[in-house]
Amino acid sequence: MIRTYVGLIIVLALGAIVVSSLSNYSVPLELGSTGHNYTQRGVDDTGSVNLVTAVVVAYRGLDTLGEVVVLFSASTAVVLILTLIPMGANPTPSSSIVSFTAGVLPGAIVLFGIYIISHGHLSPGGGFPGGAVVASAFLLIMLGSNTIPGQSRLLASIESLAGLTFGLLGFWGMMTLGQFLNNKVLPVGSPGKLLSAGIIPLISLVIGAKVASELSGVFASYRKAGGEK
Amino acid sequence: MTAQSLFYWSLVVTAAGLVLIGLWGVLTRKNILRIALAFTLADTGVNLILVWSGFLPNRSAPIVDASVTSMVDPLPQALVLTSIVIGVAVAALFVVVGVLASRKSGSADVRRMKELRW
Amino acid sequence: MSLLAAASIGIGVMMLVAAVAALVVRKLISAIIIVAFVSLSASVLFLLMDAPDVAITEASIGAAISTVIFLWGRGKIGGEE
Repeated sequence: MIRTYVGLIIVLALGAIVVSSLSNYSVPLELGSTGHNYTQRGVDDTGSVNLVTAVVVAYRGLDTLGEVVVLFSASTAVVLILTLIPMGANPTPSSSIVSFTAGVLPGAIVLFGIYIISHGHLSPGGGFPGGAVVASAFLLIMLGSNTIPGQSRLLASIESLAGLTFGLLGFWGMMTLGQFLNNKVLPVGSPGKLLSAGIIPLISLVIGAKVASELSGVFASYRKAGGEK
Repeated sequence: MTAQSLFYWSLVVTAAGLVLIGLWGVLTRKNILRIALAFTLADTGVNLILVWSGFLPNRSAPIVDASVTSMVDPLPQALVLTSIVIGVAVAALFVVVGVLASRKSGSADVRRMKELRW
Repeated sequence: MSLLAAASIGIGVMMLVAAVAALVVRKLISAIIIVAFVSLSASVLFLLMDAPDVAITEASIGAAISTVIFLWGRGKIGGEE
């Protein structure tokens, strides 16, 4: 009972802090200098029409590499816990509707995911959402199958190959242009074309493969440990 | 208050409200999975606040086109893009650790878990 | 009041009510579905804030993948409070 009141008091105090910090905040009329630079020079610098992808992959590519490492450690921890500690798998068989849908839809979903990944520098999308879409197709297959998946060498090799390629693309820029993950080791080309924007499409592909294989690995280990208690 | 500033401020009121509700849930709920859900709500609210901080009314999305003259800030959107994916990976880890803890103590109630008591 | 302001206020009120409901509703499975609804509404707000990339990511991850993760946890922990 006392927890409820203490929690309420803490949250109300935080709310007062939020309100007081927002009270002398006015609607901005211009971008800050960083955002202004990105919007003015982004296309010339990177060749990517979608500036969010330009920031994620080119300007802040090193941050994205670190983020991929965080994702890797979290998914490794999940797979490790579920592999080392048996949870008593007791999967309930899926219904015929789910099995039929899982046989038909995943191809189309994977195609859509690859479209999102490969057009990340032209339209909204890129490696992160595309990888999540591909992983959801894998999830549908897991839901529809009645067998427990075995040890998957394919997922592990895609995952490590993608991580390795990310690092090698970074070192390529370091060797030729003296800067880690420099975008201009490949020609920037004309913005708006599919084959343009330097190594951005390649890195999008790598990020997509990494996200898809890691989330799929989490789902496969969930399936192995799955079922009601 | 004009319609435009009403739109602008209603976004941040929603986002900050989600963060506060999520924190209240983390502090007061008893089921470990319910705490994970509250954590996810707070996560969504934080992402909304971050995107809002780069948002300016009457501008277009940061995708360059011949007809586009002014854009919103792409940097917070790029950060939130990665933050969402990290958020789901951390939530997956949270759920697995919560399942382990509930198996160890025999119940999903955090008051029964000595390690998590406050 | 413009259409944009009405939409953002309506969605915001729905999200806040749903967030409180997800924390106080008795059945855990209802709470999980309500949180998925909040995520989907958040992706509409991202779209209103001119962030289509974030909206796509939030819709595919927040509404689909994290819901499945929580449903798995509910199956393992065993349901109701």
